[in-house]
Amino acid sequence: MDLITTLEGLVPELEKGLDRASSLEELENLRVDFLGRKGRIAQIMAQLPQLAPQDRPAVGQAANRVKESCNALFDARKAALEAGREAAALARFDASLPGRAPWRGSLHPTTLITEEICGIFKGLGFDVASGPEVEIDRYNFEALNMPPEHPARDMQDTLYITDTVLLRTHTSPVQVRTMLARKPPLAVVVPGKVYRRDSDLTHTPMFHQIEGLLVGQDISMAHLRGTLTAFVRAVFGGATRVRFRPSFFPFTEPSAEVDISCCICGGEGHVNGEPCRVCKTTGWVEILGCGMVDPAVFAAVGYPDEVTGFAFGLGVERVAMLKYGIGDLRMFFENDVRFLGQFN
Amino acid sequence: MLLSLSWLREFTPYEGTAQELGDRLTMLGLELEDIRHPYEAISPIVVGHVVECAAHPDSDHLHCCKVDAGQGELLDIVCGAPNVAAGQKVPVALVGTRLPDGLVIKKAKLRGQLSFGMICSERELGLTEDHSGIMVLPPDTPVGARLVDVLELDREVLDISITPNRADCLSVLGLARETALAFNLPLTLPELPLSLDANGPEGIVPIEIADGELCPLYAGRVISNITVGPSPMRIRHRLHAVGVRPISNIVDVTNYILFECGQPLHSFDLDKLRGGRIVVRPAAAGDVFTTLDGQERRLTPQDLCICDAERIVALAGVMGGLNTEIDSTSRNVFLESAVFRPGTIRKTSRRLGLSSEASYRFERGIDQCRTVWALDRACAMMAAVGGTECVVRRGLSLAEPRPFVPARISFRPARANALLGVTLSPQFDKAVLTGMGCKLDDSSDPWQVEQPSWRPDLTREADLIEEVGRVHGLDTIPPVLPPVTLDLERAAEPESRHDFWLRIKHWGAGLGLNEAVNYSFVGHKDLDHLGLPVEGRISVMNPLSAEQDVLRTALAPGLLQTLRNNLAQGAQGLRIFELAHVFTTDANSETTARETGMLGLLLHGARFDAWPQSDADMDYADIKGIVEHLFRFLHLPAPLCRQREEHPWLAPCVEVMLDGTLLGVMGQVKPTLAEAFHARKSVWLAELNLETLRALHDAATVQFAPLPVYPPVRRDITVMAGPSLKVEHVLEHVRGLGVGNLEDIALVDLFEPEGSDERNLTFRLTFRHGQRTLKDAEVDKEREKVAQSLVAVLGVRI
Repeated sequence: MDLITTLEGLVPELEKGLDRASSLEELENLRVDFLGRKGRIAQIMAQLPQLAPQDRPAVGQAANRVKESCNALFDARKAALEAGREAAALARFDASLPGRAPWRGSLHPTTLITEEICGIFKGLGFDVASGPEVEIDRYNFEALNMPPEHPARDMQDTLYITDTVLLRTHTSPVQVRTMLARKPPLAVVVPGKVYRRDSDLTHTPMFHQIEGLLVGQDISMAHLRGTLTAFVRAVFGGATRVRFRPSFFPFTEPSAEVDISCCICGGEGHVNGEPCRVCKTTGWVEILGCGMVDPAVFAAVGYPDEVTGFAFGLGVERVAMLKYGIGDLRMFFENDVRFLGQFN
Repeated sequence: MLLSLSWLREFTPYEGTAQELGDRLTMLGLELEDIRHPYEAISPIVVGHVVECAAHPDSDHLHCCKVDAGQGELLDIVCGAPNVAAGQKVPVALVGTRLPDGLVIKKAKLRGQLSFGMICSERELGLTEDHSGIMVLPPDTPVGARLVDVLELDREVLDISITPNRADCLSVLGLARETALAFNLPLTLPELPLSLDANGPEGIVPIEIADGELCPLYAGRVISNITVGPSPMRIRHRLHAVGVRPISNIVDVTNYILFECGQPLHSFDLDKLRGGRIVVRPAAAGDVFTTLDGQERRLTPQDLCICDAERIVALAGVMGGLNTEIDSTSRNVFLESAVFRPGTIRKTSRRLGLSSEASYRFERGIDQCRTVWALDRACAMMAAVGGTECVVRRGLSLAEPRPFVPARISFRPARANALLGVTLSPQFDKAVLTGMGCKLDDSSDPWQVEQPSWRPDLTREADLIEEVGRVHGLDTIPPVLPPVTLDLERAAEPESRHDFWLRIKHWGAGLGLNEAVNYSFVGHKDLDHLGLPVEGRISVMNPLSAEQDVLRTALAPGLLQTLRNNLAQGAQGLRIFELAHVFTTDANSETTARETGMLGLLLHGARFDAWPQSDADMDYADIKGIVEHLFRFLHLPAPLCRQREEHPWLAPCVEVMLDGTLLGVMGQVKPTLAEAFHARKSVWLAELNLETLRALHDAATVQFAPLPVYPPVRRDITVMAGPSLKVEHVLEHVRGLGVGNLEDIALVDLFEPEGSDERNLTFRLTFRHGQRTLKDAEVDKEREKVAQSLVAVLGVRI
């Protein structure tokens, strides 16, 4: 048999072999067998020197054609096998397998609400200030127009360290500290922890407040209303109604409590015919206390008579409870991660 | 303050509903809390006429009655009361009626006799405690009428929350004034003329007041020949409606006047007052006095006392004494009506824990101009209910060392408009202030305004502006955003403490930790449990409980409490952080406290929550990795971590240092301590000082480092050594060698062969040249030098 025929016979033989090959490993074995350095084509070509010189080019060309054909067959088969393998892999793919979950952290709801509210006031030009949690009576009460024996002290049951040192009952002493340190005009918000000697379903001995203070020339109740209306709309949405109700705080005059239309029942007083448990059918919920800074407070910090200003204070947990629909205040301090992870 | 609508109507002709009144008062600053219907439960009770009353044939105490209850036919009712009799008008609960105690009246058979209803006692109707027999109504009471109508019971009671400044509104009279003002109605004081006994002797008790500041006015009258007994139904039912328990005619009248006029009164048994005179003076140190409730009280010179010629007979404004108490045999009464200094009453009431309706009002301020008027009103009422012989003696006992002087206040209508941000007319201002009871001179600007005697809270212009604003309606002032003046001087201020903390909170949450907030106080025993020093702790003087009696000196107790709470809920893995202050005493601090911001981290249990993450538990590498991550986040170099020999609650404990400054510690909570928090796995904890971190962070700068151009060449060295060789020994040694072109060395593998004490530590050396590519041969030479040096100096095997 001449070499050319032998060479050309390799192609159909390879085709049969490739048809039987079902893996890339078998394919590689066949490739080595046919095209390797000691493969069958190489073995045939090793006989080339024995041929007459004039016959050699034809055999050489035949060998190249066969090599090309074999390579093409291998490539085609390899592509087919790879395509099959990819298809099989795709078929096995399960999009519903769980993800490899990274850690998921969370901010405490009081942090979230504090940040949101401080952000709103920063946008209005307020600075964020802070002050100590252990406070002296003078800043917590006296400079805020609550001398000893003032019945308004009953409004805030106090935890004392000594007769004159206490855990601040509100963030308002930072008003005093800020005014003692700075000259008007000024605008600050003061977030922080406050303490009361009180513990039941709706009171915890520690909670968070945000205090606001703006002092300047010709600041009026209209400005207070504008500021707080902006705040309420930003936190609870533009459709929320705001109500200012006269009230009493020793450090503001006039004083008001601010109610917003109940975010649970939309101010209707009832949810699906049932009395709303949050606003108790009144349609309003109390959200903060505010007023025009009492002249006695300005006098205590040595500010001139002409300045006017407003102040307000709100409970962070209260806002969080209304905004997120949390029913139990104590959950804020139990730190159950199933609770903590719900808000961001 | 509980306000009966029908009582109010005796003072002003308000015709609207309770809800409308409550809503209006709310918007005037007197917040409606609730509307009560105290007699709602007995509204189905009707008046019946006992037509026949016969003894029950088979009982020695039951009666068989035939009752006309306006039903068209006579009802058979079996009644067990001893006082039931034919001809009486009585309250009848018909079949189907539910009584206040929940009992539903059914058709019943009592010892064989049918009964179609029940004749009720006052207690069964929830009217009083009287259960001695059935309630008997006046003979002219119309049959079939509703009991609530014929008794004119106070059926609507508003619960109004009164702010501490509105002392005047702690009475029907005061709330009637507000109502009249709000609805533009007249205020009509119902007349109750006092007639004195013209024939009998004068009844004057001399009064001596030691300090007029403490007692500006003291008045009294003598009532004689009184018969102590129950007061008339009308008084009892009205007091009951506003939550006061009826006691006797004398006590009930004083309570009635207190609620009606806001003037607390006190009645002494005149026959027990020794020496027939009254002295008002501060107690002497060590005085002991037994109050009406039988408690022995030790007094101080801060307490104001009412004394007779020999002894203390009452704690002024707070409580009377047992020694002069009215009893069932009392015949002669000295009735006191006085004004005391509010702060004094408050101090005594607070110190002794004795708060009463009287002390509550004295603390807030009394209308001194109505003190004698209220006394006379009470006397007239007492004379009317004190029995046929009861008379009020001629003569008023009175001492008024400090007559009321109204404040004269300058009021500028323009200032009111400026402060309220609204334009009100002077006519409006004038109408409000005069309507409030102020005398006013508006002939010049500023106006001169005189305070009404019942408004102790109106002493300054701002107070008057509030009144004008409140009546105008704060809710109608148009909202405007304020001009805020920003200060260029503050533009370069460093990041605020709040913002720094907030950024760290976001770092923690972003990293995958849950932020916790624990109480700032813990129990001393919690700090003791962790072995924290006793010195420097700040105790709470009046804690709510022993669990909250000291401010925390470390975050660990709170974090461990959070761990316990979560483990109780079945949590598998916890990664908690908290930013808060710890508190220690500091003699140099204005507040005596040093408040240090700390960051606390706690890791426990499974590193990941769910498959396909591994279910391995967290270990030291996790907490250290987080701490080091924070340092990178704050632009700080990696901290030096050095093991500390002893720590109260951590073992191992690792100090976190930077440039010789201790920034905190981290480590494992000692298992014996962690057990108390139900932790079965390792608890890893870190506490870092935020004040120091913030200072370092503020000083840190960020500088761009050019990227290397030439490739690194890496070589590994594995050393075998005993446990005393620490990784840092190798790192420090190699870094100190001055190896050429060494860029970095890091541990890349750790293997602890079983059964061997030794550890195999694999370090990777990274070499790089700034100007050319390194050749393998030169790097291999450096690696070999490092290896030989490690063997020679540290005694490791390679």
